[in-house]
Amino acid sequence: MNSTVSLRNYSMAIGLILIWLFFSFATDNFLSSRNLSLLSIELAITATLALGMLLVLLPGYIDLSVGSGVGLIGGIATVLIFHYEWNAVAAMLTGLAVAVGLWCLMGSIITKQRVPAFIITLGGLLVFKGLFWKVIQSETVPVTAGDSANAMSLTTTYYLPETAGFILLAIVTAFLIRGKLRERAQRAAYGFEVEPKRHSFLKVFVAFQVMLLCTLIMNQYRGIPLSVVILGAVAFGVFLLTRHTRFGRYLYAIGGNKEAAVLSGIPVDKVVITAYAILGGIVALSGFMQTAYSGNSTTTIGNLMELDAIAACVIGGTSLAGGRGNVLGVLVGALIMASLLNGMTLMSVDPSDKFIARGLVLAVAVWLDVYLSRKK
Amino acid sequence: MKKALQVQALTKRFPGVLALDRVSFDLEPGEVHALCGENGAGKSTLIKCLSGIWQHGTYEGSIHVNGIEARMRGIRNAETLGIGVIYQELALVSEMTVAENIFLGSEPTTATGLIDWNQMYSKTRALLQEYALDLDPAARIGDLGIGHQQLVEIVKALSKDTKILLLDEPTAALTETEVEILLDIIRSLRKRGVTCVYISHKLDEVFAISDRITVLRDGCSIATHLAAETSKSAIIEEMVGREIKDLFPKRVSHPGETIFSVENLTVLDETDGKPLIENLSFSIRAGEVLGFGGLMGAGRTELVMHLFGALGKRVSGNVLLHGKPLENHTPSDAIHRGMMLVSEDRKRYGLVLEKDIGFNQSLASLDQFTKGLFVNELAEVQANWKLFKSLRVKAPGLEYISGGLSGGNQQKIVLAKALMTEPSIILLDEPTRGIDVGAKLEVYELINQLTEQGKAVILVSSELPELLGMSDRIIVLSEGKRGGEFPATTATQSQILEAAMTNS
Repeated sequence: MNSTVSLRNYSMAIGLILIWLFFSFATDNFLSSRNLSLLSIELAITATLALGMLLVLLPGYIDLSVGSGVGLIGGIATVLIFHYEWNAVAAMLTGLAVAVGLWCLMGSIITKQRVPAFIITLGGLLVFKGLFWKVIQSETVPVTAGDSANAMSLTTTYYLPETAGFILLAIVTAFLIRGKLRERAQRAAYGFEVEPKRHSFLKVFVAFQVMLLCTLIMNQYRGIPLSVVILGAVAFGVFLLTRHTRFGRYLYAIGGNKEAAVLSGIPVDKVVITAYAILGGIVALSGFMQTAYSGNSTTTIGNLMELDAIAACVIGGTSLAGGRGNVLGVLVGALIMASLLNGMTLMSVDPSDKFIARGLVLAVAVWLDVYLSRKK
Repeated sequence: MKKALQVQALTKRFPGVLALDRVSFDLEPGEVHALCGENGAGKSTLIKCLSGIWQHGTYEGSIHVNGIEARMRGIRNAETLGIGVIYQELALVSEMTVAENIFLGSEPTTATGLIDWNQMYSKTRALLQEYALDLDPAARIGDLGIGHQQLVEIVKALSKDTKILLLDEPTAALTETEVEILLDIIRSLRKRGVTCVYISHKLDEVFAISDRITVLRDGCSIATHLAAETSKSAIIEEMVGREIKDLFPKRVSHPGETIFSVENLTVLDETDGKPLIENLSFSIRAGEVLGFGGLMGAGRTELVMHLFGALGKRVSGNVLLHGKPLENHTPSDAIHRGMMLVSEDRKRYGLVLEKDIGFNQSLASLDQFTKGLFVNELAEVQANWKLFKSLRVKAPGLEYISGGLSGGNQQKIVLAKALMTEPSIILLDEPTRGIDVGAKLEVYELINQLTEQGKAVILVSSELPELLGMSDRIIVLSEGKRGGEFPATTATQSQILEAAMTNS
């Protein structure tokens, strides 16, 4: 299992490097610390949403409504802040609650009433879009009144100070080392083979190097963006959820063979509704970030984001039939999509050409995946 | 006169199983020839060889059609030779009309390449008239009863200029009146010179319709009789006539107290409201193996699926597990109460095939390894290893994808999953279907270990020797009703088979 997944990720990683090489030659400033910082924020929004999407794709479902949801939830929070002068945290919590409620509702209709997820969430796409426009009265509502920052606007404008970035790096590295040590001790205690110390060290060391490089680049500009920290937390959470909990196992089992899952005593409906509820929370988070990133809530916020999220998952090796996909793949897929958009914007590519390029990359990536797995 | 079909020394092997062993039989033109045999005797495999599903070269021996050797490379080949098959499972598109179904894949077209609807419907009307069928060519298949659908299927086969018609249990889902219509059609086909092969468990029908009867047993053709010169009991004897081999490990059973009982259970199909189980009562004690016999479709699988909480609507009856009622439960509830099911179709209901062995083994027992939020994977792997080794699964390791295993080893994984839930009563539905003799023996030993540990086992099996060899008592189901109960020590295969056929 591991070998096939890594092979596929490998081909996507090569694709990513080629895309980066292309843009670094085609533009002057793709690899500048300022642009990389910008790219990391764009990545954070796309990838966070895609990680949520992964949770419903794994059991073989889908959600087309997340893009409209991003707009709606961001809009609700913005209107509460700007028009009703709510505290930003309270506004965001309200948005979060609304999102979790709506997604629970959709999950329940899909499972209990047995209406296909495609249809219910397609309905959601339209309904949420309409609600969104009503909420903001089809106007442009700024996230902040005047220049004063608030908790919502900070999600994409706050950067960790240089030292805080290094401290965060140190904490994450310490956790990595601790996790590795614990894993080794436990394996030994249960009488399993323990990998050579050299390998363990190398893995942690390479991870540390990569993170150090990223931190240094980010610090050259303004520091590590808060949205990247949010993405890190979401990615780590989804990773734990999918790999190390019963819930995660059940997602894979339902996607792999729903009938076998039922007969194994898995509460399929409950698991799927929970997956939608978590996705709802992630939609809210993405909504705050996306709205904050553009500075205002306007009617176009969230447009086509559902397709970006699905594309990122699929490029990252997630199966739309369910049962296959992982966090690392989704991150790579999201980075490919975000890099493409960012690079083409730097090149001042016409918007029409951007759509065509993204569509072709999606098609080629999936074809390549099918081709590679067939060849074996 | 040339034989319509001649099969000589046909041998078909599957990994570890000899499905057909030098089978020979022939068809006279225009006769109705019945094939009889227990489940697993090789009838379906034979049909698959004759219809080109198992291509020439995948079996040994020869098939001659009208005196010429047929080397079929697929179903189309068989069709051009005039061989048509009616399967038990209908192959019609329910959203399409009768005419559309009959001409599916061979639609008449106009000069411009569009479908010639007028021709299609007039041809269909002519066909239906030819067989005196009162059906509307424009009726939607889904609106017809099963019996009429079956007839459409037959007309479809005949529309392709079929000379030899193979009918595999065509009456399994039909009512008595529908069966009569079907038998009449077969009689009229005989007059037209169409040769029919008729497979059925229902010996009454077999004797009503056939000219000759060939008996298959364990993949061998035992004998061919003129129907007029033999009797039902003689055929049954030939179908079962074998010694119970010493395949079944000896055991001493010492049943304890009753742990599970069912009283007057009646269960309906959730979708069409037809009765699946009618007024059934039984109980089972700790350390006991209760066997369920019966023909396919007698309701045995439906019974265990219902008891496990996965199927059917209970309209009456009490089910008690450890003295407490078990009703409106889900499989999850059943597992927590100490009941586990091993289903008959391991690929469809048992395994997540794309996942590895370990994933599947512990799937129903993750609660045991979960403290707080996270699964203790090392404890899980350790428990998986223990079962993996004790069941002697032949695979490189726990990370091996379960879809790549042989049938016997896949079955062991499903059994391991069941054992890991530590059930006090375990429902085994055809636990040895499609696995080799060595693995069968291991399953039997496992059943004995379970009863020694004081667990109760419900064993559903279509293999009579297995049922007799492994059970303490045997209840025979016939069309969802109790057809009889026998102590395994004195029961005979003929008794069981007769009880299974009582209502049919």
